[in-house]
Amino acid sequence: MSGSDLFTGTLDLLILRTVVRVGPVHGYAIGKAIRAGSDEVLSIEESALYPALHRLERKGLLDSAWGQTDTGRRAKFYRVTPRGLTLLEAETRRWIEFSGAVGLILDVDG
Amino acid sequence: MSGWPFKRTPPPGSLGGDQDADIDEELEFHLELRTRELMDEGLDRDTARREAEMQFGDAREVARRIKRERRRGGAGRMMMNVLGELRGDLGYAFRTFRRNPGFAGIAALTLAVAIAGNTAVFSVLDSAILRALPFENASELVFLNGYHLQNGERAIRYASVPEFTDWRERSRGVSSMAGVRPAGVTLRGGGGAERAEAEVVSQDYFSILGGTTPLGRTFTPEEYEVPDAHPVVVLSHSLWVRSFGSDPGVVGRSVLVNERTVEVIGVMAADFAGVSLDVDLWIPMGMMSLVGSADLLDTRGTRFLPVIGRLASGVSVEDAQRELDAIAGDLQDLYPDINRDRFVEVETFRDGYLGSTGRLLWVLFGAGGFLLLIAAANVANLLLVRADARVRELTVRRAVGADSGRVARLLLTESIALAAIGGAFGLVLAAWGLRVLTPLIPHGVLPGYAEPVLSVRAFLFALVSLTVVGVLAGLAPALSSARRDLTTSLRAGGRGMTGGRARTQQIFVITQVGLALLLLVGAGLLTRSFRAQLAVDPGLEMDGVHVFSVQPSRESVPDADGLRVFTDELLRTVAEVPGVRSVAASSDFPLRGGSSGAYVFRPDDPETRIRYHRHSVSPGYFENLGVELRSGRFIEASDNQQARPVAVVTQAFVERVLPDASNGVGRSIYVGDPSDPANLAEIVGVVENIRYRNLTQDMMEESNSPDVFFSIHQVPARFLEISFRTDAGVAPNPEAIRTAVQRMDPSIPAPSLTTLEELYHAQTATPRFAAFLMGLFSGLALLLACVGIYGVLSHSVGRRGPEIALRRALGAQAADVARSVVWDGARLAGVGLVIGGIGALLSGRVLESLLFNVESTDPMTFAVVASALLLVATLAAAVPAWHASRKAPADVLGGE
Repeated sequence: MSGSDLFTGTLDLLILRTVVRVGPVHGYAIGKAIRAGSDEVLSIEESALYPALHRLERKGLLDSAWGQTDTGRRAKFYRVTPRGLTLLEAETRRWIEFSGAVGLILDVDG
Repeated sequence: MSGWPFKRTPPPGSLGGDQDADIDEELEFHLELRTRELMDEGLDRDTARREAEMQFGDAREVARRIKRERRRGGAGRMMMNVLGELRGDLGYAFRTFRRNPGFAGIAALTLAVAIAGNTAVFSVLDSAILRALPFENASELVFLNGYHLQNGERAIRYASVPEFTDWRERSRGVSSMAGVRPAGVTLRGGGGAERAEAEVVSQDYFSILGGTTPLGRTFTPEEYEVPDAHPVVVLSHSLWVRSFGSDPGVVGRSVLVNERTVEVIGVMAADFAGVSLDVDLWIPMGMMSLVGSADLLDTRGTRFLPVIGRLASGVSVEDAQRELDAIAGDLQDLYPDINRDRFVEVETFRDGYLGSTGRLLWVLFGAGGFLLLIAAANVANLLLVRADARVRELTVRRAVGADSGRVARLLLTESIALAAIGGAFGLVLAAWGLRVLTPLIPHGVLPGYAEPVLSVRAFLFALVSLTVVGVLAGLAPALSSARRDLTTSLRAGGRGMTGGRARTQQIFVITQVGLALLLLVGAGLLTRSFRAQLAVDPGLEMDGVHVFSVQPSRESVPDADGLRVFTDELLRTVAEVPGVRSVAASSDFPLRGGSSGAYVFRPDDPETRIRYHRHSVSPGYFENLGVELRSGRFIEASDNQQARPVAVVTQAFVERVLPDASNGVGRSIYVGDPSDPANLAEIVGVVENIRYRNLTQDMMEESNSPDVFFSIHQVPARFLEISFRTDAGVAPNPEAIRTAVQRMDPSIPAPSLTTLEELYHAQTATPRFAAFLMGLFSGLALLLACVGIYGVLSHSVGRRGPEIALRRALGAQAADVARSVVWDGARLAGVGLVIGGIGALLSGRVLESLLFNVESTDPMTFAVVASALLLVATLAAAVPAWHASRKAPADVLGGE
């Protein structure tokens, strides 16, 4: 798995999790939420975020609809589908396993 | 934010235009919000907007990308995924190679050598055999070889012209037949005089082989049928280019063939090569007198004509054989004396055309294939060892979501990448090798049209073989890595070489040793065969004998007396050239071909015809060549026209024709028709056997006619071979010889000199070459197999460090440890030897036709080769053994 694969996998998880947490939300807000939720550590580039959103939507993990913001602007909102929810749970478990293994390795070599 | 009561957006991909506009709008919304935020922080609108756009990156590009991905849909995604994966894997593979240049280097080099060898052999094979024979519908072409049985073996004698006519008229299965008689001729008229290869052919020859004449025409029925009425010839394309400067006006020109005037009536197309290799011109059957006696055409008993044919449609070779067996039977009944025990064999063109060359090439191809397998096994072992070291890295990949297939694909990509690098170098090596080795291929081994260069097909073959090798080599490590249980391997500290993997390595090594043995046995057998040929006593003293041929024209030397005078004068002239010590003349020369045959009759049994080879020689001939005299004397100057006819015979002649004689001297034989007393000759000397035709002939075999020598003054010859020796330490001066000869008779073309040694060398060239190539392949195989043994043992020693240390701690001596490692290696090699040995015994038959005086199961070869292999394998095991013995118990245990 190349570096970018690893990254996209993780990004997808972050997006799904954020949308679950924050509720139906547009892309801009998702980016802000991830930044905030990680204490400003993780900052997602827009050029990665929007393609990821569309990809997740194509995969059927996100649902989208056009609506209006508080300020009356027209925007595209996303929410997680049931399938997306299932995948989120499974991948989250795997992520925990992975980071455990990485931790092991880092310990031995250190 | 509001809830979710909005209308659903249409599914992706349905409304193209709307969707695109939506994407633009979505991104625009983002930019707007960011701009607003920045304005809140104090920037003015324009600056804020610019800042927002900059932070976003190239919004238009992102929009484009999203739209593109959307349009591509599912399949496109998968493709892009696979390609992306592949690119990533390749990049990763190359980074790995850069980090471990030693491993990558050895693997690539191993593969390069093996692929080079294979591709080179394939190129030769392809250019000589695999491509279609240069004839139309070549699968329908056959040879018809007349033979008779002697001691259970087929002695091929070909057909006589009347016999050939009978076959042709009676056969339905072979729809057309033609006689093809090869002959060497002297050609004059192109740009001087030269020796050329000709074929005397009958009607249908050109139509059977499908030749076209871009210039002029081929022969008419009259030209074939009526003897000596139409002196015409057809040239080959290569001769036309070479000696006639591609002159389109050559048709109608007169040239001299064997000193007789003939007219050129056509030139064959460039791709027409004739049945013999490298034919220069064609002569119609009616002009047989150009190359031999005219009564060859009517005598039923005089057999000399090879016959080709084309099978009728739907007729198989077996059918044709059956029909010709029946025809042969009919002829036996019709001509009980002449056709007694005479048969015909039908042979496919492909088999007869190339003869033993085809066999040799396939054997070499097989050898190359084995070498490739050995190389693949080495690389596989290397990869297995490396896979062990990469357990951690692979584990991470598995955890991150790569399934077994993914990991396997990654490893296979690596091994194929290795194979590709090796293959690229291999191709370069192959091209170089071909260029270097092709000139070494002995003349007459390959057909003239074969050009062993790296063709497109060879390139494709290399591509296919490197892919196969890459997959084979990577399969074992890929499969075993993919199946690994991650946690156990991590806990074991990454040193776990499971039993399965170790066993796989051992199997590889055993296979390598077995294959190497096969190749070595092959090389050993071919070498013994070659040396057996060298060991044959040709009956002559090889070194220092030079020879050239001369054929005076009928104009300058019209008759037999003239020939005698000419011969004497020529001998005198050459003897006077400074440096020439002794000179002799003969009607033919050993290993040069050209002997003519006739029949002798014992006076007490004039009914029995015994075939023999006749030679006319001058006094001093035998002495010149260092032939040993067994009894009586050599030909002397006193054996001239006035004296009684004499003959000198070989030992084989005496043993076969005069078995009752004590030594043959003094006996008389009829050297022609027994009813003519002038044909009675007295044997005055018996000499040791001389190998005139080739080294492998059996002098006592029936089909090998014995030799009889006459005095050249009693039986003059027009075609003369002049042989001479120079003074010690003096090299011959070809110019001086040429000048002297041409001064004597300007009509004689400039002779070209060769030596007996060169002729001898040419005879042994093919077996030497075969032994050399096989030796090369098997040497490489041995090397690779040793590298394999060394690798496996050293890895196992490294892995078993703790175990060894333990044993040392428990009291084992360093020597014991070393011995056990060597024993491991010897055991592996031993198993490989046994398996390889059985394989060699079973497959030895393949080589049989290439071997001389050696059985394919020759025990000594097997024994020598096996011992050598075992010894080398043991040495290969010695280094790891030495390392093992040096491990002090404390070091290893402490480091764990």
